[in-house]
Amino acid sequence: MGIDIGSATSKGVIAKDGDLVAHHLLPSGTNYKMAAEKLREELLSKASLSQEEIACTIATGRGANNVLFAEQQVADIICCARGISKIFPSVRTVIDVEDQSSQVIRIGEEGRVVNFTTSEKCAAGSGRFLQVIANVLRIDLKDIGPLSLKSENPVTFTTGCAVFGETEVISRIAEGNSKEDILAGVHKALAEKICALAERLGLEEEYVISGGGGLDIGLIRAIEKKLDIQLLVPDYPQLVTALGAAIIAAEKCPPKEG
Amino acid sequence: MYFAGVDIGSTMTKVVIVDEDGEVCSRIVGPTGAEHRRLANRVMEEALKQANLPFNQISYVVATGYGRVNVPFADRQITELSCHAKGVSSLFPNVRIAIDIGGQDAKGMKIINGNLVDFVMNDKCAAGTGRFLEVISDALGIKVEDLGSISLKSTDKVKISSVCTIFAQQEVVSYLSEGTPLEDIVAGLHEAIAGRVVRMVKRLKIEPDVVLTGGVAKNIGVVRAVREHIGLEVLVPDDPLLSGALGAAILGKETVLKALAKGEPIPKKERRLEEATFFT
Repeated sequence: MGIDIGSATSKGVIAKDGDLVAHHLLPSGTNYKMAAEKLREELLSKASLSQEEIACTIATGRGANNVLFAEQQVADIICCARGISKIFPSVRTVIDVEDQSSQVIRIGEEGRVVNFTTSEKCAAGSGRFLQVIANVLRIDLKDIGPLSLKSENPVTFTTGCAVFGETEVISRIAEGNSKEDILAGVHKALAEKICALAERLGLEEEYVISGGGGLDIGLIRAIEKKLDIQLLVPDYPQLVTALGAAIIAAEKCPPKEG
Repeated sequence: MYFAGVDIGSTMTKVVIVDEDGEVCSRIVGPTGAEHRRLANRVMEEALKQANLPFNQISYVVATGYGRVNVPFADRQITELSCHAKGVSSLFPNVRIAIDIGGQDAKGMKIINGNLVDFVMNDKCAAGTGRFLEVISDALGIKVEDLGSISLKSTDKVKISSVCTIFAQQEVVSYLSEGTPLEDIVAGLHEAIAGRVVRMVKRLKIEPDVVLTGGVAKNIGVVRAVREHIGLEVLVPDDPLLSGALGAAILGKETVLKALAKGEPIPKKERRLEEATFFT
């Protein structure tokens, strides 16, 4: 079992021989311990397993130390890299976009982390920026990607701060800019910050996007355009790190007898 | 002779009128207005009314504040930094470090003998500006003006680990839901903003006298937190918002008196008391 407690969403996975048996996610809320417990319950129920049948659990993410039933904690960068290497063994660069930060991870064979860089703790460099602007525009997060692709004239933001950006969006609406153009501009601004990270680290194909950001087609296209690359997208981009944790769990603990 | 200084900030416009002895005849603070309608002219009119002067009796008007604003009733535009440095040194002649925390930016200025010799500025990130306190006090359901007095009751201030305003807001809501006393949270906020600003200003090598200005300087909790971080006395003018406009008015006075002394024409242009607009 792999449990990834993030700042916004907690993700869990039960894997057998590296394959997904069950998965679940839920909002982390303010009580990470409760989120972890609830997650475990849901996973066991979905997999029709009991706790005794789980050989080992690895916890990762910001709230990892709240997963009291885990045998061990492993850093999220390492889990993410392992998860990706299972799904796409040819990937060498991972662009991971989460709620409170973005990372770029260079991986080697077998998902070994070769190097990584992370954004400063700034909302404008992470998925949170998209959430803030979606709120202002009163649009669901899941719709902002497709909407942004309809834009023909993305707005260029003058600020690099999510708080000032929110104010700028309000002005832009008053000036008559369309929501599509504003959303395209926001995706572009976030993509630029993420691409700057990637360029600092050095690029090597193949490339993949993971984390909540991988659900946003607008962000995917904006990054692809900026770096002139193709991004592979996992079926469940948010679960990659939890999957990696589960794979590591299988290696750390020998399978139980019987 | 009378000279006016107009400081157009992101939220508030400040006008100060001085006479040729540098005595302040009127001082007004009013709202700047929405993005494209900058109502600085209205604040100017208020100031004229308070001083009992018609517009054409003002010998010189210096405007400062947002660089991109076109002020049709000003004779000249001078940078905020120069105006602040002048204004602060006229009030506190021994100032070496002036810190201004405004609605959307924060500046640190090194002043020697009334001259600006170095500066640092943050206008990119909301944390460390008045906006930080505004956003979070909003989330807490309290007015910005009450933050100072609330924080004085604190006995055990919280530590805000987030650097970013948005994540700090989330942290604060968490603390609140855990039952942390409001005053401890607010004291923690003041600690966070003071720490952020002082860290930036330390690049200038802080030495006395230290003066704090800007809207945020009206918050007694922040003033205390800044004092603690610097370890020195921090002076605050009676009207912390006016140092820019005061400096602008004094610079106008100096320009005119210098030109007169040399027998040169005063560098003026045609001016109309109308709304200010944005350059694009």
